[in-house]
Amino acid sequence: MDWIAVGLKEDVPPGFVIPSRIADTELAVWCSPSGTYHAWSDRCPHRGMRLSHGFVRGETLACIYHGWQYNEAGSCHYIPAHPKLTPPDTICVPTYRCIEAGGVIWVSLTETDTPLPALGGRRTVRSLPVSMSAPDLAAHFGAAGFTTIAVVSDHDVLLAVQPCTDGECMIHALAAPDADRSAVSHWLEDLRATLERVPA
Amino acid sequence: MNAAIDNHWYPVAMISGIDAPRETLLLGKKISLGRDGGACWVKDATGTELPTVERFGHLWTSPGQPNRDLFTIPEADSPGRRLVDVGSVKVKCSPLRAVENFLDIAHFPFVHTDILGAEPHTEVDRYDVKIREEVDEVWATKVKFYQPQAAKSAAGGITTEYMYRVPAPTCSVLYKTCPPRPGEWDIITLFVQPLTDEWCEVWPWMALYDDDSTMSEMVSFQQLIFMQDRSILENQLPRKLPLDPGMEVPTQADMTSVAYRRWLKKIGYTYGAQLVAA
Ligand code: FES
Ligand SMILES: [Fe+2]
Repeated sequence: MDWIAVGLKEDVPPGFVIPSRIADTELAVWCSPSGTYHAWSDRCPHRGMRLSHGFVRGETLACIYHGWQYNEAGSCHYIPAHPKLTPPDTICVPTYRCIEAGGVIWVSLTETDTPLPALGGRRTVRSLPVSMSAPDLAAHFGAAGFTTIAVVSDHDVLLAVQPCTDGECMIHALAAPDADRSAVSHWLEDLRATLERVPA
Repeated sequence: MNAAIDNHWYPVAMISGIDAPRETLLLGKKISLGRDGGACWVKDATGTELPTVERFGHLWTSPGQPNRDLFTIPEADSPGRRLVDVGSVKVKCSPLRAVENFLDIAHFPFVHTDILGAEPHTEVDRYDVKIREEVDEVWATKVKFYQPQAAKSAAGGITTEYMYRVPAPTCSVLYKTCPPRPGEWDIITLFVQPLTDEWCEVWPWMALYDDDSTMSEMVSFQQLIFMQDRSILENQLPRKLPLDPGMEVPTQADMTSVAYRRWLKKIGYTYGAQLVAA
């Protein structure tokens, strides 16, 4: 499986956690105070609460329901109801490969040797939800896959596509550093209108 | 038809709130209810009358043949208590998840911060839990917890003592230290109407000793607490309550929830439950 963009760096500053997903896999994506990004299964092993509702404390992610804290490896290391207890190693959250590069947060659901996509020095512009599946979007542009799709138009744009639920995806758009960001942003909205066949 | 599920009493309305006839759901099926003069009625989708009981300010019914009376709370009848209909909150979760959350104290510092709990007072001491076979109820006793504002009537932080009772699969009664009257218990209940197996209407009801707060202050206090709980309940995965061990990880603080799940399994109450084998 390839790297998938699950969000932009600017949407997850250090100390924040957000919900995201890759198709049916729901994720809690968070950034530690020291700036390391993590993508975990969005479910606390204790009582199933979404970890994306939790809070970052030090280099740990804590669940909002009972405050269980998970270290950067996803292992539970503190249970507030039992402060003297050392939790067993078996209590851990499934974690995924997660790296921030070029302002994009990339996740791979499986171990991978695939290098991160080349961004050609482009910078992130914005994210935009689109009512079209990721494979259909790739097919529309005649691209082999949807990890990144280079689009030649008035702008030199790269689309990193995140598959969401059936028939939905999120486009994370990048453009050359000197691009007119608001022009690119308008171009993206026009693109969405075309893709969704809704009159602009 | 599943007798283990149908033969229970379920809350379906607050009596003071019944005016015109209306429809609601019970266990995924449409029912209607209303009042003729003094007496309340409930009918199923075919127009057949269902049995009713009016108790604790609420109207109760059953789609089956309950093999015992609706439980009672004798302590609630003692004079001087104020009976508070809190109203209802609809929650998108299994009715069993709603009850289990009500039985849980370890979440107080994180979900009801600075009201029912506060860090660093997070420790949950060992308490007693039992399935009382003679009455077929789950009981937790000697539950103690430090609370910054245990009730509307509490002046400051106190260590509160709790007893929890599960007298029916979708109902729980909490007996709680009463700040103005040491030695007596305040009573707070959670009556849950299973609309479907992943959607419920929660009817809290209280019998309190509190001579100072107004009715609306007591109601808003409790509603605030339930709104906080709802933000949790609608974000637990799966929405149904896993009855088999393995899917979730309990600790000693969760002994009440463990006993509740075990009891549900024992009595075959699977509505709103997730079974591994399913
Ligand atoms: S559900 Fe996460 S700590 Fe309890
Ligand atoms: Fe709560």
